[in-house]
Amino acid sequence: MPRKRPRRLASALILVAGALVLAACGEKYPNSTFTHLTEFNTIIDGLWNRLLLLGTIVFVFVEVLLVFTLIKFRRREGAPEPKQTHGNSTLEITWTIIPALILVLIAVPTVKAIWETEAKAIPGALEVQVIGHQWWWEFRYPQYGVVTANELYLPAGRTVNFQLNSKDVIHSFWTPQLGGKRDVIANRTNYIWYTPDSSLAGSVFNGFCTEYCGSSHANMRFHVFTVAPADFESWAAHQKENAAGSPLEAAAPVAAPKVASVAGIKVSRAAKPAPAASVQPATTGYVFPLDKMPPYTLPQTPLPVGDREVKYDDSLLPGGDASRGHELVTNMAHMGEVPCLTCHIIKGEYKGVLTDDNAKAPNLTHFATRHTFAGGIYRADAPTLARWVKNAEHMKPGSLMTTLGAGQYWPSMKQTRTTGLDDRQIADIVAYLLSLK
Amino acid sequence: MASAVAHADTHEHTHYTSTGLENRKVAIWAFIGSECMLFASLISTYLIYKGKSIVGPFPHTPWTSPDGHVFKPILNIPVTSQSTFVLLMSSLAMVLALAAVENRGKPGYVGTVLGNSKLWLAATAALGATFLGYQAFEFTSFVHEGLTIRTNLFGSTFFTLTGFHGAHVTAGVLWLLTLLSIDIKRGLTPKDTLLVDMCALYWHFVDVVWIAIFTLVYLIK
Amino acid sequence: MATTAATPTFAPHTAASYGQTGIWSWITTVDHKRIGALYLYTALFFFLFGGLEAGLIRWQLAQPNQHIVSAEFYNQLFTMHGTTMIFLAIMPLSAAFFNFLIPLQIGARDVAFPRLNAFSYWVYVLGGTFMTLPIFFNSAPNGGWFGYAPLSTLPYSSGLNIDFWVMGLQILGISSLAAAFNFITTIINMRAPGMTLMRMPMFTWMSFVVQFLLVLAFPVITIALVFLLFDRFFGTNFYEIAAGADPLLWQHLFWIFGHPEVYILILPAFGLVSEILPTFSRKPLFGYNVMVYSGIMIGFLAFGVWAHHMFAVGMGATADTVFALTTMLIGIPTGVKIFNWIATMWGGQIRFTAAMKFAIGLIALFTIGGISGVMHSSPPADLQQTDTYFIVAHFHYVLFGGSIMGIFAGIYYYYPKITGRYMNETLGTWHFWSTFVAMNLTFFPMHFSGMLGMPRRIYTYDAGQGWDTFNMISSIGAGLLILATLFFVVNFLKSRKSGAVASGDAWGAGTLEWSIPSPPPDYNFAEIPVVTSRYPLWDLKHPERTAGIAHSAPDVMTITGAHATPVHEETGHKTAAELGIPMPFNTVKPAIAALAIVMMFGGLIFMHVGHFAVAMTITISSACLFVGTLYAWLTSPLE
Repeated sequence: MPRKRPRRLASALILVAGALVLAACGEKYPNSTFTHLTEFNTIIDGLWNRLLLLGTIVFVFVEVLLVFTLIKFRRREGAPEPKQTHGNSTLEITWTIIPALILVLIAVPTVKAIWETEAKAIPGALEVQVIGHQWWWEFRYPQYGVVTANELYLPAGRTVNFQLNSKDVIHSFWTPQLGGKRDVIANRTNYIWYTPDSSLAGSVFNGFCTEYCGSSHANMRFHVFTVAPADFESWAAHQKENAAGSPLEAAAPVAAPKVASVAGIKVSRAAKPAPAASVQPATTGYVFPLDKMPPYTLPQTPLPVGDREVKYDDSLLPGGDASRGHELVTNMAHMGEVPCLTCHIIKGEYKGVLTDDNAKAPNLTHFATRHTFAGGIYRADAPTLARWVKNAEHMKPGSLMTTLGAGQYWPSMKQTRTTGLDDRQIADIVAYLLSLK
Repeated sequence: MASAVAHADTHEHTHYTSTGLENRKVAIWAFIGSECMLFASLISTYLIYKGKSIVGPFPHTPWTSPDGHVFKPILNIPVTSQSTFVLLMSSLAMVLALAAVENRGKPGYVGTVLGNSKLWLAATAALGATFLGYQAFEFTSFVHEGLTIRTNLFGSTFFTLTGFHGAHVTAGVLWLLTLLSIDIKRGLTPKDTLLVDMCALYWHFVDVVWIAIFTLVYLIK
Repeated sequence: MATTAATPTFAPHTAASYGQTGIWSWITTVDHKRIGALYLYTALFFFLFGGLEAGLIRWQLAQPNQHIVSAEFYNQLFTMHGTTMIFLAIMPLSAAFFNFLIPLQIGARDVAFPRLNAFSYWVYVLGGTFMTLPIFFNSAPNGGWFGYAPLSTLPYSSGLNIDFWVMGLQILGISSLAAAFNFITTIINMRAPGMTLMRMPMFTWMSFVVQFLLVLAFPVITIALVFLLFDRFFGTNFYEIAAGADPLLWQHLFWIFGHPEVYILILPAFGLVSEILPTFSRKPLFGYNVMVYSGIMIGFLAFGVWAHHMFAVGMGATADTVFALTTMLIGIPTGVKIFNWIATMWGGQIRFTAAMKFAIGLIALFTIGGISGVMHSSPPADLQQTDTYFIVAHFHYVLFGGSIMGIFAGIYYYYPKITGRYMNETLGTWHFWSTFVAMNLTFFPMHFSGMLGMPRRIYTYDAGQGWDTFNMISSIGAGLLILATLFFVVNFLKSRKSGAVASGDAWGAGTLEWSIPSPPPDYNFAEIPVVTSRYPLWDLKHPERTAGIAHSAPDVMTITGAHATPVHEETGHKTAAELGIPMPFNTVKPAIAALAIVMMFGGLIFMHVGHFAVAMTITISSACLFVGTLYAWLTSPLE
């Protein structure tokens, strides 16, 4: 019968849906908000549980009542005219007061939680300035003199107080596993704080921008590394130092430069040291080990294809020379083709009028200590970096980093570049970047 | 049973209405309601941005620019008080114009100054135009003194708020002139009271908005 | 009473009987019923268009890291999907019912200002086209339907996309405001004698509240848009970061409009449900007074909750607390309605027509959306929910499960009145069940992906984040939803010619619109009825149903003054001329005025492609055209 068929089909579909949902239960949920990893999330989760409980009770009550009504009072042949009720004051009062009481049960812990979570952070908290840019995150640690990007290191067990700001449009700073979100807005400083549990040393969490901010809003991610306090101090102390290979301010005798190996590419220094001052040695502080990063924190963003593909001959990469790259990037005579330092700061290298406050691009001083880049969407490996340097505008929609490769289509200028970097130069630059430990 | 309503001609404008009011009267009140929210938004924005401009000139305080130019406080309260008075007087003229049309033919109005609707309509329009003249003078002198709509937050909010108000006054003046021309051509009779009443309502509203603006922008520092 | 087998007692009026055929008669019509039909067809078209935009969105998001559409185009898609559905689909669908139904429900022959009514429609269709065409040139608005500054300001959106958005919304605002003035006047002033406010049908009541929301909320977004327009075109500083502007100004102004807007979207659907349930339960609406007062309360409170959209911006604990409490408060009158609807069906003899199914569907699905809404009202909890797919789930339950279900119910219910034929019940049943299942399949998983960390407004997401399965289910559901809608489209188009013929009282309902033929003659009522209770037609045909409520007739003077007679069923055999009823003239002036308005705003855009002179020419000449047309309009008689 026509009446029954749609309903049978509906039941079938519901079963299929149910099966899919059950299958979904097998997945891991690495960005779940239902954690107790900070006091902030614990408070929120407590509220959520209450909301869910009350919501479920209301849902079941109303839907069951509805279905019951539909079944019991469906029209029957030959039935008399139903009783023509127009209303009932007692019922009206009852079903006004009961929902009001339920709302009180929600309101009281809500107001309590508002004042608890929006109180000032405890004195002695770690201060971190979070500055949103289109489409990357800047992190500064004023107590440590550190400026970095896209990777946020936090000591487990210590309260961190975030001061949130934007240099351009509105973004929102969110690590679902650690706390609620707060918008970052220009001309305004917002605050949010939480304390990652001390058991979290050695963990890494995903962070997202959660306020639509333009073309690459989806590509504005970051990572939070909660590490042991000693590791944090080591990391911070190193991040504060000038870049490896940058000229030292005082002309002091320096040990022979080390030869390090990064990602299988030999990074070698020139046979002769730089003619003028001596250079910053390549020391290291703590860095979260790459092999300890769970798969869901390592981006799987595919390289662009089709008319956005950036072709590059990966076989050139092992031949990249870091010192040639250093010369290209830091010698301002090359600025026409290699304008890196007009936007990026590499501490210790020439920076002209760039300050931390007017730099438009991530601080690259210790770039090689970061495992991802470009707003957390790509692994910081040589082939990806090469394509990024060659044509960042293709690699990331709307990217404000300009296309640099010769012969590459330059979307923001709507033309093909005639001049620019060739693939060998790019290999050198990549080698240099990967030497910035 | 017989009444003026019962025998109302169906092709006259006095259709039956649920409230006894004419449709257009109800509509203009709804329109005034929306205009209240319009000006409330403009005024609120002005108040929110009050004191927040990074560069001058400022409304009530002097300012020295980085290159040494000294700007006086830019608002001229004595002059604006005059224009405010003019606008208030125009509302008086509007009241008299409406009375003249409503009471046409009644004793006390026939052949008297009170009953001269053309005079009062023209006076309202003229006073309104004078107010606009003051506004034009004020806007041009501010621009000469270095405050434009792009200069700072004060300039943007001030010119937009008073500009919108001025545009409303202008529309009101055009409305008055239209009524005046109808009065000249065929004469406005008590049957036209609604048309003048709607204009009066609008005109008084625009005047009240100006009182609010004058108080909040000019008088309160 | 009437069933599909009933023989009609008359032949439906054909347009030829009063000389109204051809496209020109549609362009120049001032008949509220025709204007309602125009709104219905246009809005359904935009609904389907917005649905296709959603289809592309869900195709892109079905799997991680896809590039079916580019990031830039995706951002246009989600912006236009929201803008289309809210401003070009749901609001005009409600307007279709306001137009068609309100005069019939209150016993009037037309709205207060028929030409203004036509003007509203033409501004809508021209403005909607203006805002939709750019997507074919990859220049559609792309700042989200909410267009937050500073992203929408010139430094961060230098193309024409946002210009189209700003102008388009200003144009549509004019349409809505004009219509609101019209309906407020109509409802206040043109009710049949004896129809006190507390005897008005529920749909008219809810629409009445909506008109006040429109009148008070639209000016605020007008100003917000004026500020953005001035910033983008004239270099002002309202949202200019460098000048010290506060980006939150936009958000406050927008949401002071935006929250009443969502009640504008839902109350008409609530009104339709309140009409349909009594008819198919064979008993009156339970708690009419409370339903009216709760509607008014919702309208009133709607202006006090806006900042619950801003719990993450850092307003401070006091503001967060206040808005949390007001938001929870508004849940009470809303919940009360749900209970009154269930009580209406309780003890009845429920007939499950397609219209009834959709009305019940609204109750079931809106409850879910309402519950998630209360969950958002707690600011600390909302800091996890806001800007995630949990919110997307909430508003689709209230807007699709609420507004759209209610509107479909209204279409099935009033189609016989509008066209004279019933829609096919079998197709209607298929439409309902497939929509109900597909809707849940699409949107329920979003509760999960949201709370499991998936942000909104992202054109793609990485694999392994725990969102893959939910997105796949949602996308399958969206595909099924598109198919489900086909049942409706086919039914809607087919039934025009092949549906069973309907009489005036097509369903056995109690309100005035069912006392005249289906479709109604151009003059609606040959004789204005005197109303003695809330259900005038039941008074006439089923007096036992209304025995329990107060009855009274207005005084004789009023009845005579309005040339009214006791309620009666009409057959519509005579023309307006035969009855001596003056009908308004058709006129093209509203359409021309509308065109002038659109050209005025549209012309300004030429400033942004370097043609300042062209912009000024178009804008100024259209302004002159508008003023001239307005003058001709105001000085020519209506009838």
